[in-house]
Amino acid sequence: MKLVVCIKQVPKVTELPWDEKTGTLRRDLASGMMNPACKHALEAALQIKENHNASITVITMGPPAAEEMLREALAMGADEAILICDWLLAGSDTFATSLVLKEAIKKQCPKFDLILCGAYTADSETAQVGPQLAEELDLPAAAYVEKMEITGKTLRVRRLVDNFRETLEMEFPALVTVSMENYKPRYTSLAGLENAFDQKDVSVLDAKSLGLSSSSIEQKGSRTRVRKVFLRKAQKGNVVLQGAASNVVHEFLDRYQRKIGTVIGKSIEEKKQHDDK
Amino acid sequence: MLINPCPKHKLIRDSVRSFAETELAPIAAEIDRKAVFPREIIEKMRPLNFFGLQAPREFGGAALDSVSAAIVVEELSRVCAAIGLCVTVHNGVALYPFMKFAGKDQKNEYLPKLTSGEFIGAFSLTEANAGSDSASVETTAVKRNNEYVLNGTKIFVTNGGVCDIALIFALTGFEPGKPQSSVFIVESKSPGFLRGELEDLCGMRANPVSSLFLEDCCVPEQNVLGNIGDGMKIGLATLDNGRIGVAAQALGIAQGAYEAAVKYAKERQQFKKPIASLQTIQNYIADMATEITAGRLLLYRACSLKDGGAPFGCEASMAKLYCSTVASKVTSLAVQIHGGYGYSKEYDVERYFRDAKVTEIYEGTSEIQRMVIARTILSQLTF
Repeated sequence: MKLVVCIKQVPKVTELPWDEKTGTLRRDLASGMMNPACKHALEAALQIKENHNASITVITMGPPAAEEMLREALAMGADEAILICDWLLAGSDTFATSLVLKEAIKKQCPKFDLILCGAYTADSETAQVGPQLAEELDLPAAAYVEKMEITGKTLRVRRLVDNFRETLEMEFPALVTVSMENYKPRYTSLAGLENAFDQKDVSVLDAKSLGLSSSSIEQKGSRTRVRKVFLRKAQKGNVVLQGAASNVVHEFLDRYQRKIGTVIGKSIEEKKQHDDK
Repeated sequence: MLINPCPKHKLIRDSVRSFAETELAPIAAEIDRKAVFPREIIEKMRPLNFFGLQAPREFGGAALDSVSAAIVVEELSRVCAAIGLCVTVHNGVALYPFMKFAGKDQKNEYLPKLTSGEFIGAFSLTEANAGSDSASVETTAVKRNNEYVLNGTKIFVTNGGVCDIALIFALTGFEPGKPQSSVFIVESKSPGFLRGELEDLCGMRANPVSSLFLEDCCVPEQNVLGNIGDGMKIGLATLDNGRIGVAAQALGIAQGAYEAAVKYAKERQQFKKPIASLQTIQNYIADMATEITAGRLLLYRACSLKDGGAPFGCEASMAKLYCSTVASKVTSLAVQIHGGYGYSKEYDVERYFRDAKVTEIYEGTSEIQRMVIARTILSQLTF
């Protein structure tokens, strides 16, 4: 069985300054790490590998520094690593990224059975690349998968959608995006890390080797432009309600009952009406 | 010479940090308070190669370079110095002399057990009357038929309470003018190998430091490490290496205390502003960061000399002297920045403060390090 895991390097800190001209994050200011959900996807692949004799190719698009994350993936147990690295591809949105990943997968591992992606990234959190890649490759797909079972050529997945769990089945080749519910990533052994640097290679591809020219990237590439990036400001302030207890409760409800959750709100509302009577 | 961290070193640091913060941080204060050795954590560490840091791959080790090994000890000690101590003693002064001096059969028999952590190792030189003066060891080993019979008492043995194997320094005779010492590989299950009570120490309390009593303890003659009479040679080489480990440990403790102090200084409000905005506190933080960084460069220099096959004893002593001094100073400042809370067991800096002191004492006191450094300098022919 051939597995492909698409992973992304994200900044280690959650709040980063951004370039005001382009609206993109200044990723160079923080050191990178493997996106947590991608790490769960890799762990899921490693568990499949252990039970089904699979090989794993990890693939990422990113700057040269992303190589170190690929080494980590190799240390965890991936067999091959591919870095797509080209300044022509810098600033790609999710649409362009999925196009590039499609070309790389078609070129490097056309006979894959399953592609695994993290359900979302810690930096931009769009959760789009996985589903878009499935669309590009015309694959059956399920997002936010928390459990997988493989029988022959059939993949059964369980996923959490809103407030219910659903179980889906699909035939290989397929794509899943893996959530962080299960598949807690294993620790990397020190020997694994040493081997990943000493004895394994990372293949580097550029846009040209994928048949992508600057004009085709411009034509087919990013469809979205970041117009504005801003920090959501949370206003904190203490409000002190004073007076007799019943007055305070009524004043509290007047001010805040709409902000209290529906169920609680209803029961308090009923209680209030009852008290008023 | 490595000045900046390479991707491999960065990744090793990140991986060990993640392990330490997830597995050790939640228990570090408790195992210190209760002075218990966390066996369950050791079991989690075994498959990750923490007990075979620099051992060759064919014996199940991780074959790390010395900077990587130092980073591992740093990162463990940054969170829990007692576990950092267990790992650095096992690797630095038990496994290392095995790799360097053991014969082929000894390696085949013991290295896989040591590198997998099935056996935890200890190094037993210190005695009641032999501390810095390691030549005055009184434990004896007398040959009887095909074995040696050991008698004596070793004290302050790190990992002593849990070790499965100990390297015991013992007198085996007299050379003209001085006693002849040798090193014996002694398994804890050997008859006549007894452990004393665990020491009630100031810091690193989760490490089971104990005395070892050898009472007619019989060891097969093939368990001599190196040759009879190699004691001083093995001891000095091992201590040079062990000092790199203690420097790494001291640096990790300093780093942990420093980070806690910076975090606290940004959070703690006095005079209606964070104390980090006060110049005195800023000076403390600047000094801490500068000295930790200087210590790290000194440590990695000793490591890279060792990996290059050059003599590194003097640099290891410099690193050990400097990093342990920095650890004591930085942990003291970290307590100071925390004020009254820093003196409370509620905050980790109190533990770091207690843990740091011994790094100036064991594996050669600061006074001995100065002696080693000065002796090296003064024995050089020219500058």
